[in-house]
This record gives sequence, structure tokens and C-alpha cells, in this order.
Amino acid sequence: MHTPWWRNRRLLPLLVQATVGLVVLVTIAYLLGNLVRNLSAAGLLLSWRWLNLPAGFDISESLLPFNAELPYWRALLAGLVNTVRVVLIALVGATLLGTAVGTAAFSSNGLLRRLSRTYVELIRNVPLLLQLLFWYFVVFLSLPDGSAAIQLPWVVLAKSGLHLGSPQLVNGVWQGSLRITLEFAALLTGLIIHSGAFIAEVVRGGVAAVPPGQWEAARSLGLHAGQTLSRIVLPQALRVIVPALNSQYISLAKNSSLAVACGYSDLYSVAETTLNQTGRSVEVVLILLGTYLAMDLVISGLMNRLNRLVQIQER
Amino acid sequence: MTSPTTAADPGVVMIEARTVEKWYPNGFHALRGVDLTVHQGEVVVIMGPSGSGKSTFLRTFNALEDFQKGSIVVDGIELSDDVRRIDAIRREVGMVFQQFNLFPHLSVLDNLTLAPTLVRHRSKAEVQRQALELLARVGIHEQAHKFPGQLSGGQQQRVAIARSLCMEPRLLLFDEPTSALDPEMVQEVLMVMQELAREGMTMVVVTHEVRFARQVADRVVLMAEGEVVEIAPPERFFTAPQHPRSRQFLSQIS
Amino acid sequence: MNRARALTNRLRRELFATPLDGLITVVLLIGLVSGLKALLHWSLTQADWAVIQANSTLLAVGRYPLNQQWRLWLLTALLSGAAGISWGLLRGAGWPRSDRLAAAVLLVLGLVLPAGLGLAAPLQQRWWWLTALLLVGRWAAGRWGCELPPRWRRLLPLTWPVLYLSGLGLIGGGLGLMTVRPSQWGGLLLTLTEASFAIVVCCPLGIALALGRCSELPLLRWCSTLYIEFIRGAPLITLLFLGQNILGFLLPGGLAPDRVWRAAWILTFFAAAYVAEAVRAGLAALPRGQWEAARSLGLNMVQTLQHVVLPQALRAALPAIVGQFITLLQDTTLLSLIGLLDLLGVARAVMANPEFLGRNAEVYLVLAILFWCCCAALGVGSRSLERHLNRQVLRSQP
Repeated sequence: MHTPWWRNRRLLPLLVQATVGLVVLVTIAYLLGNLVRNLSAAGLLLSWRWLNLPAGFDISESLLPFNAELPYWRALLAGLVNTVRVVLIALVGATLLGTAVGTAAFSSNGLLRRLSRTYVELIRNVPLLLQLLFWYFVVFLSLPDGSAAIQLPWVVLAKSGLHLGSPQLVNGVWQGSLRITLEFAALLTGLIIHSGAFIAEVVRGGVAAVPPGQWEAARSLGLHAGQTLSRIVLPQALRVIVPALNSQYISLAKNSSLAVACGYSDLYSVAETTLNQTGRSVEVVLILLGTYLAMDLVISGLMNRLNRLVQIQER
Repeated sequence: MTSPTTAADPGVVMIEARTVEKWYPNGFHALRGVDLTVHQGEVVVIMGPSGSGKSTFLRTFNALEDFQKGSIVVDGIELSDDVRRIDAIRREVGMVFQQFNLFPHLSVLDNLTLAPTLVRHRSKAEVQRQALELLARVGIHEQAHKFPGQLSGGQQQRVAIARSLCMEPRLLLFDEPTSALDPEMVQEVLMVMQELAREGMTMVVVTHEVRFARQVADRVVLMAEGEVVEIAPPERFFTAPQHPRSRQFLSQIS
Repeated sequence: MNRARALTNRLRRELFATPLDGLITVVLLIGLVSGLKALLHWSLTQADWAVIQANSTLLAVGRYPLNQQWRLWLLTALLSGAAGISWGLLRGAGWPRSDRLAAAVLLVLGLVLPAGLGLAAPLQQRWWWLTALLLVGRWAAGRWGCELPPRWRRLLPLTWPVLYLSGLGLIGGGLGLMTVRPSQWGGLLLTLTEASFAIVVCCPLGIALALGRCSELPLLRWCSTLYIEFIRGAPLITLLFLGQNILGFLLPGGLAPDRVWRAAWILTFFAAAYVAEAVRAGLAALPRGQWEAARSLGLNMVQTLQHVVLPQALRAALPAIVGQFITLLQDTTLLSLIGLLDLLGVARAVMANPEFLGRNAEVYLVLAILFWCCCAALGVGSRSLERHLNRQVLRSQP
């Protein structure tokens, strides 16, 4: 009994895979071949030596000490540190905001419930970039300066920045306290408000997934609404919330690359300047992609650990 | 009434399985050299404890499961790695599943007409006429334009049987057709199957229904641990089983 | 009288159930009212809407040559006609059931918006005609659509791809029409072109990737997974950056598309990975028995996919896919960061004009409202379609 090879169900999968593999390989080889040819024609073959050359540009704000004489790799590192700084703070802020808004959707107060929905629907349907530009150009850049600055307890909102603590007005300039630049403040506000809406949806979905019997049981034991939420419902909702939160955190980290819109020197904006000066497009893009991938992996790793913790506690 | 079955000829062999052996990818030896011959018009009931390989064996007949050693000839076509042969066998062999597996996005009528129009290239109008007749035969012609989700479990399983019949198969395989049903719905499905058997349809049925096996089966096959332990006519199997495993199994289910 | 009492009762229960609730309500109300008052005060007395009125053409089509803009009008007319007819036919087929509100909103918008924007009288009239065309199309198709012969009705969905391709032709020119290079497209025109292109092309790509990722063949699975995870791990802006700076090196000289199409392809490849994940979730939700039932009936692989697997998987994935489309529409704003003149890019160019300096708030507000309306409409439509499909097919599988 003879089966032709093109009808053999053991050979067919191999055949399909071989074809697909060949097509993928040929495409990659073709693209890489072009890349090498075009790069060598432009004199830009892959090299990392330029990373040690002096950058020649300054970074407006940096946690690491930086000046124009330092090499490119220090500039990129400073950008990375700036990215990590904004991502970490925004993560905390967005989680707090999202949890508050998400649980507000179950409030006994009808107005609060509706406001929570309105906030989520408002934010989710407007592009983040537009929101960031709005916060920077419309809100923060139009802050008054000097004695007209908005003075709240523990913080002064002025055009020169956000002054925390108890700053003094010396010759029309606020001094003597922790200063946050407007760029950083705008980016942080935008990211927190945007991610907060998405996290609120995650929290709302998680709480809604807890069976209603749990609410009733807790209330019948005499716990009041706040206790029921924090002691009974939220711990159970975490099983649903944590995995979904993982992808929200990753998109927050990726969204921080829009910092360039408010003039904050994050990794992407430093990389863009670096590319414009050196023309090293392939290397710069590789650095960018690799760094963001690494950041995603770190977040996923931590969240997976948290997830395991939450799921085990359940038993 | 269109009858999907040809006149039963006990001389014709429908299934000829010889020393079929199957290992799962994890190394589990599911079938250990199983033999079975099913003649045209015969009703063979396969019984056995769970994990005995009876469903796996049934599913090798239409190549839903593959096997490593031995041979299976279905309706004169030997199962091989040739995709065209597999398609040919599947056209001639109908299958009814434990979970019904109706297509929930299609109406009952479309569930029946889908395969005949696509696979047999028959005209839609003709197939629809036949489908309505079949639905009438299994007693649910009034539900033809409903969706499967709106029917009870027993009705769904009867639709599934009608769907198989609509392909005019020469052999029907039943994989625990009543196991997922509520008790009060079991009977309506068994009645349809009994009716089919009376009309001469060749059937291989994996089931736990002792009464069905006693009344309808021509032969009962007992499988245990991937082997055929005993093959006997029902009256002998249920009253005087030869093999100790058969006696053990019968004492467990009764 | 009774109704008024019921209302007060309900208000009391909703807003003042406990003293704490009452306090929250009062604080929120004070905040809301003062906020809305400030916004109203600003928009009526301080805001200067001239920046929108003076630049409405720029925001709509960018620097598209003035003497060729009739092509865009023609395209809009064709689109609104086709949309109206499709709407009417869909309504005849049972969805959407209640669309009076949508029609009323469209009517009011079509009547009021052109005047509100301060467009020239001929332009206003054109918008009125377009609205009329849409609504008449809906009415006529709803009235006589079901009397069309079935063969015609089966051909009607084909008008959309034809319309789309000829629309691209109308925008870009060729075949005797004056060529308008993509670098001259701008504003809303560019945003919609890029978004629609990416939406149309990313769907088949995403489905193929999802099938690859769920495949039993390891090589297909690895390739799809690698691609999907690579794309999902990178921020869109770095990929657009890659497209602008490296795509030219990857292709032989002269073959690389221009900047607008590069961005469109990057958007497409980006969205495909996310659509693939949505479809994969739909495929994963499908019981294995569906495959087995279809195969045991004799359907081959392609028939099983086409008639059994994909209809169910796509239906389950519909909300997630539309969610991706909404995200994609919003993501087009990132084009302004790589120097393209999409809606946001044109808006930023307008605000850089010394004549309109400091008019950021007005422009951003209008853009935000525009995006909000488009995205919210997509969301509402998708939810309504989902409800319709769920009502039609109650889930049956245990």
C-alpha cells in the first residue's frame, strides 16, 4: 500500500513547517543582507565604540550627575534612571488611584458610583499623548509664578516647579525645598490619571467576580461596608486582579516612553537625541528594544511572584 | 422516508481491527493489541471501566486518534497516513459524542445541512428537505430554526444523531451518548438509537447502559486495561460471563 | 405627586443613605458644580474659538491641494451613502434594534456642527447634504432593503472593499487624476487613512498569527509566539522610530515606502500582535469537541476553520478586537512624534503659529472631544452588537 508523500499525514506537518521555516529564514537573510550592505555603504556597520564618545548634549534633569562631557552610555543610563523613576512612582500612584476609583464603583453613594464610571469612560477614550500634552502645556505651564503661585499645605505650585515641604519666597523665587520640575510633574500626573482609569476597570472587574454571597455573609456577620470590602472582598478579588494588573503595569512602563511629549528626558528621548547626533540607528533601536523588554520581564517576574502568593493564600 | 442505511448484509465486514496498539505521547500504553470485527447491520456495544481504552479504541475507527501498530479496515478502506483515505472514511462514518458537540453558532437546521453541502456538494434545498425529515424522525422537527443552546440536553443529542445521519453514513459510532444527560432524558435518546438499530444501521456504541446493551446489542465487548477481555452475545455476557474481569465488572455496575 | 415622592425617596436612598454618604455627596456636588461653572465660564468668555474656525480645513485635510479637495468631498459622499444603506440593511436584519437616538444625534450634529464651526455657507450646505444622504440611505434601505433579490444582497458587502480601494485611489490620485503625494495628506484625513488601513490589514494578519500560536506544529507556534511577544514587549513609539530609521536599511534602495506608509505598516504590524492575542483567547475558549465534530463529519481543515472554528472564536473575541481598534485609533496620535502631520501633528503646527500662540486649551479640548466621540461610539456599537449576538445564540456547551 503506497501513500504519496503529499498526502501523508505524518509527513504533511513536517512539510508545512519546513516551508514556513524556509520562507522565514530566507526573508530574514534577505533583510539582514540588505541591512549589512546598506549600512556598510553608509559607513555605519554595527559598532559600540561610539558609546564611549562624549555626548555633547545636556540632560535637563537627572538623578545621576551628568554633563555634556560624559560619554553617550552615561547619557542613556541617566535616561534609563529617569524612566525607572517615573515608572516606579506612577505605578504606586496609579495603583492607589485605580483601587480607590474601582472600589468607588461599589459605593452606596449613587453620585460617587457614577463619577467613578464617568472618570473611566472619559479617560479611556482620549489618547494618552493628548492627555500628556494637556497636562503639560495647558495645566502646568500656565501656573503663575512668584507670590501669585498656588500655595497649598506642604506644596507650592509655581511655574518654576512644584516645591514640596515649606519653601520660602526669596526675591520672587521659591527656594529651599524639594523641587519637582513641571515636566516630571506633568508626565507623572498624566500617567497616573491614565493608568488609574485602566486599573480601576481591573479592580472593578475583580470585585465584581467575587460571588455576591460573600458580601451577604460578611454583612450578616455584622461587618460594615468598609470592613467587608477590605477584609473579605478585596483579598478574594486579588486572584482576578493581579494577573490583569500585570499587563496594566507593563503598558504603563511602555507608555512612559511618551515622556518626550512633555520634554522630560527619559530613555526614549535621550535615545532620540543620540540617534540624531550619531546616526547609529540600529544600535540605538537595539538598546531601546532590549531595555524595554528587560523592564517588561522584570515587572512580569515580580507580578508572577505576587500572583503565586495571592493564589496560595487562597487555600 | 429516506433511509440512510442499505439493507443489512451480515456477510459484509464493516470494521476489521487487527492487533491495534496505541501509546500516548507520555508513554501510556492505551491499546494493547486489540482485535474486533464488526459486520454490516450489527450493533456492537463496548463496555468497560473508565480508563480501559474503550473510547480511545472507538475513536481510532475514524482517525480521531492515531495508533502505532496493527491495522484497521473500515468499509473496505484501510486506515493509513493518507489524508485522502482518512477523509473518505470520515465521510462514511458518523460519530455521536458525549458532549453533543453541536455547533452553537448555527441553527439546528444549519447544523444538519453544513456537512452534506460542503463535503458531498449536494444542493442546499435537497439537503434541507432531508434534514427536516430526519428531524421529524428523531422527534424535534418543530425546533429546526432554534439554536442548540435553546434545546434540552436530550434534544441536543437527538439533533447530533440526526446531524450524523444527514451525511448518510454506512456506520455510526456512539461515544457514551447518554453519559452527559440528566436521567430523565436518557430514554428518549436510547429510543432513537434502538429505532436506528431496528432499521439495520451498523453501530458501535460505547456506553454504560446495561438495558440498552441487553435489548439492542448483537454482541457485547468488554475492555479492560487496553485489552479486549471478552466478546459475547448479550444474554450470555450478562448471565454467564466467562472471564473473571467480566464478572468483576458486572458486579461493580449492578 | 406620587412620582415626585418616589423621586425624592430614590434620591435620598442614592445620595443621603448615611451621614457619611450625605457628606460625600455634598462635597462632590460642590466640586462638580464649581468645576463645571469654571469650564463654562472659560469656554464662553475667555476661550477664543477663532483658532478652530480659522484652521478647520487644515485640521481636516492638512495641506491637501485646494483645487483637488472635491475628491475628498466625493469620497465622503460615497462613504456616507454606503454607510446609510448598510445601516438600513443591518437594521432590517435585526441589528441595531433601537437606533433612533443615534440617528437623532447624527441629524443634530450634521445640522448644528457646520454652523457652530463657522464654516462658509457653501461648506455648511455640503455637510447638510451629506447628512441627508446618510439618513435617506438608512431610511430607503430599511424600507426596501428586504425586497432586494438575495443574490444582490449577498454582493452588497463587497461594495465596502471596492469603496475602500477606490477611496485610497481618490485620495492618492493616479489613472488620470492628479497625484497627491502622501506627504501632502494631513489632519483628520491622515489619521483616518492610517487607522483604517491598519485596522483592515491587521485583522487577517492577527488571525493568522493566532492560528499559528495555537497550532500543533512547533515551528509555527514558536515563530508566532516570538513575533507576538517581541511586538508586545516594545513601546509603539520605539517601533515607529525603528520604522522611520531602519526600514530604509532593511530594503534595497528605492523599495522602501515613504514615511506615511512606513508608519501605516508599523501600525499594522503592531496592532496585528494585539489582535492575535484577542483571537487566541477566543480560540482557547472553544471546546476541543467542536474540532472533532467538524472533522468527523468529513469537513477538511480549511472548512472546519471557516465554518466552525473562526465564526465562534471571532465572535467571542469581538469585544477585545474592537477594544484594540479603539486603542489603534488613539495610537495614531503618536505619528505626530515622528514628524507626521496627523490630526495632532497639524494641531501642534497650528499652535506653533504666532497668531494662535497660547490657544492650546481650545485645540486640545476640541481634539479630545473628537477622539472621545469616535472611540465611545465604537465602544457603544461593539457592546450593542455583542448583546445582539448573545441574544441570538444562547451558549449551549457545558
